[in-house]
Amino acid sequence: MDLTLIVVLVIVLALFFDFTNGFHDTANAMATPIATGAMKPKVAVGLAAILNLVGAFLSTAVALTISGGIIKEGSEGVLITPELIFAGLIGAIVWNMATWLFGLPSSSSHALFGGLIGAAIVGAWSLEPVDWIVLLDKVIIPALLAPVIAGLVAYTATKLAYAITRRYDSRPDGRDGFRYGQIFSSSLVALAHGTNDAQKTMGIITLTLIAAGIQTDTGVIEPWVIITCGLAIALGTYMGGWRIIKTLGTGLTDVKPAQGFAAETSTATTILASTNLGFALSTTQVASGSVIGSGLGRRGSTVRWATAGRIGIGWVLTLPSAAIVGGIAAAITKLGTVGIVIDTVVGVIVILGIFWQSRRNGAVTANNVTSEVAASGEAVKIKRNPKPIKKVSL
Amino acid sequence: MIDWSAFLLVAVASLLVTSIVVSAYSFGLRLLAASGRAPLVEPASFTDAITVITPEESKAAAKRQKKAAKKNPLTDGQKRLALWAAYACFAVAGAAVLYGIYLIIPYFHH
Repeated sequence: MDLTLIVVLVIVLALFFDFTNGFHDTANAMATPIATGAMKPKVAVGLAAILNLVGAFLSTAVALTISGGIIKEGSEGVLITPELIFAGLIGAIVWNMATWLFGLPSSSSHALFGGLIGAAIVGAWSLEPVDWIVLLDKVIIPALLAPVIAGLVAYTATKLAYAITRRYDSRPDGRDGFRYGQIFSSSLVALAHGTNDAQKTMGIITLTLIAAGIQTDTGVIEPWVIITCGLAIALGTYMGGWRIIKTLGTGLTDVKPAQGFAAETSTATTILASTNLGFALSTTQVASGSVIGSGLGRRGSTVRWATAGRIGIGWVLTLPSAAIVGGIAAAITKLGTVGIVIDTVVGVIVILGIFWQSRRNGAVTANNVTSEVAASGEAVKIKRNPKPIKKVSL
Repeated sequence: MIDWSAFLLVAVASLLVTSIVVSAYSFGLRLLAASGRAPLVEPASFTDAITVITPEESKAAAKRQKKAAKKNPLTDGQKRLALWAAYACFAVAGAAVLYGIYLIIPYFHH
């Protein structure tokens, strides 16, 4: 197959993945402000799209981790071909779409890494091409730690927000004002999402350009790559938002403005701090961790362990599952041009099939729309309006 | 080599920045309430997660707000001080966010 044709195919597929990523993740930033009524859904979604676009231009640390770190290219590693990246992307997209259909919690980022790793292993038929230390350092450990860190931070922040604004004389406490704060904090999450998630696709495209010998410098990201990735994720965010507006109001748990503000702020700071150090974490998992942590920060809350466990299992399964799909796709590409055609056809059939299936089942339901972030709110059970304990007034 | 100190850095930085921003904003609201200007913000739209507020309820809330403001034990000067302190708190929260954004954009450090 013509080298440039496969490169174009991979870029198109990568941008499609970027689009689905935005589509899937609008709720990360905007579920809590919509839930507390801080913003009208339409405004929230438009703002998220714009800020995702802006965020894509801010940093390239994560993109460089992906393009230069995890999979060894060139002379010291095993040669990564555009075909393998293509197979990895097929694995990521198929797994992402499947989990979306069945309402399983998953992470776009881990699907992407899983698909690539699976494809690289099968393609080279050894464990050589993957830099396991970088994978552990930049992907797996951050994946495990980041939601926990975000949860702890959100817990602390919620406690602080409530403690500082608490009044025992039943006068207005001004907590309504957290709705204004939420406009800013959720914007920051959307911005952070753009910096971390759009960069993953930039990394993939750059990896492809390097693998195809079109780009030689591994330390830069081409401007057109940044622009197209930013646009794809912004468009996906906007389109995904309509789906959320349509079905919001089903399955959202009670979120108070103070809690939402604390959760959003901790999501944003955790993602931004990690992005700065080049950790490619899952924004979905961080947002879910924050929502659970902030729920626990409210008085009278307990964890529903069954729900929390289900979310946890989804997180653990994503990477290996996408790796298996990516591996199978890579095995098929070994047939040459025919293999690529088979992969493309199967991929398109699966994507169209999932879209068709989701439309047939009464479009979107509470199971597949409200996202992991909203679902993770259900992992915490909260008593309504517990009475104040102490009587001290200011 | 796995760089454990980087994870610690992320944890500490996130905790510190979030605590500063959330505390500053909360103190701002507390001081606004103390100055007799507790904000009343109705939800922009009503989802399942929010109990719908009727116009009567929102009027009653505004009335309570006014009554509390009238009974405010602070003098006018103290109220003004509380108001300015509230604005200062919001400014601190905003500045912390802007500084955070400044830190992550490599363009500013070249």
